[in-house]
Amino acid sequence: MTDITGDDRHDDILDVYGDYLDRGEQPPAELIEASAENQLAWAALLRVRDAAGSLVDLEAEAAENPLASGWVESILANVQREVRSGRSIPLTHPSPRARLTVTEAAVLGLVRAAGDSVDGVLIGRCVLDGDVEQPGAPVRVRVEASVFWGENIPDRAEALRAAIAHTLLEHTELTVESIDVTVTDVHLRRQAPVDGDGLAPADGDGIAPGDGDGIAPGDGDGSAR
Amino acid sequence: MGAEPLPRPRPCHDHGPCHDHGGRTLAEASDRILAGRAADGDLRAFEVLVRRHGPLMRAYAARVLGSNSEVDDVVQETFITAWKKLPTLDDLSVVKSWLMRIVNRKAIDRIRARHDDRPLLDWDDETPPEQGPEKQAEAQSQREQLKGALDRLPEAQKQCWVMKEVGGFSYEEISEELGVPPSTVRGLLARARKTLIREMEEWR
Repeated sequence: MTDITGDDRHDDILDVYGDYLDRGEQPPAELIEASAENQLAWAALLRVRDAAGSLVDLEAEAAENPLASGWVESILANVQREVRSGRSIPLTHPSPRARLTVTEAAVLGLVRAAGDSVDGVLIGRCVLDGDVEQPGAPVRVRVEASVFWGENIPDRAEALRAAIAHTLLEHTELTVESIDVTVTDVHLRRQAPVDGDGLAPADGDGIAPGDGDGIAPGDGDGSAR
Repeated sequence: MGAEPLPRPRPCHDHGPCHDHGGRTLAEASDRILAGRAADGDLRAFEVLVRRHGPLMRAYAARVLGSNSEVDDVVQETFITAWKKLPTLDDLSVVKSWLMRIVNRKAIDRIRARHDDRPLLDWDDETPPEQGPEKQAEAQSQREQLKGALDRLPEAQKQCWVMKEVGGFSYEEISEELGVPPSTVRGLLARARKTLIREMEEWR
């Protein structure tokens, strides 16, 4: 590379500064002030950094460029075509010749709907741990949840566990050995409380629970209220 | 892509995430909770993630690509890949940086395609001719000047700089993503920084 300055010492000090900055440290003041050259190099580096400020500030740029209408919908429409049904969970059928299964995704949707029916918690990841494809095999259900600020955590976890157990018993034949709830975070509600708890019942805007994952609407939501 | 008809009515509309019992709070949920739900097939949770991080992904993709024409395609591809791979993500709380890595990779793939899939380091040969000072004087602001200087950098140097300074990637991550040793990344980045300083300033 051609050295425009014709003086390698400038490069050297920039390398030294670069090493400090890469470690997330400021070069020591004694180093910067050691020579006029060092001071000039440091000033130049800062000016580039200032100019880079707006160039690297993605948050600001993102805030200035809202998503175009239809953009999110287009992604979701594409995503919906990706079927992720998971394992097939057997159900008994009156006819010995018929084989009936429910998809793992559908069961996870039921668990989620059950979780959403419990006030003060929001359910996250749910894992069915065990050989769910084998009738009668023990299954451990592991769920993550977020509890709203101010709620009694053990109480909410217990309510969640009960709602999930009830739903699985009602809709599946899984041998549920345990339901482990891990509270991964506590979250604040930004909205002013409505109806005392900030969780008004569904607005009646016709949204079915678990939409998009193939679960018959109507179940799970509202049953625990 | 944008004009495609939807396969069926969407529960959610332009005015934001949905408003049912779960949706009311979904918009305020942590990334970890949302990513967990999306991994389990909750499209509404995924929608919140898209709305939350989509604008940032677009801004980053524009920096890597150096133009806006392919940004939407790259980000849409990113989210589709993310939906497919979410169930395999071990640490759900890092979903944002995971998305950044995917969008970075998709954008770099586009650039590689422009360069006929030659190895990244080959692009380094293509140093454009030095721009005269009169060209630089045309730049309206320091920011524009830097942007111009960045655009003139050899592709490999530019990638390293954008990944480090804009994307916040570590040397190890850059090395992994670009498929070059960390020492090479260090060298490319050092050269990029020096060139930028030289182009920006007469500091002698």
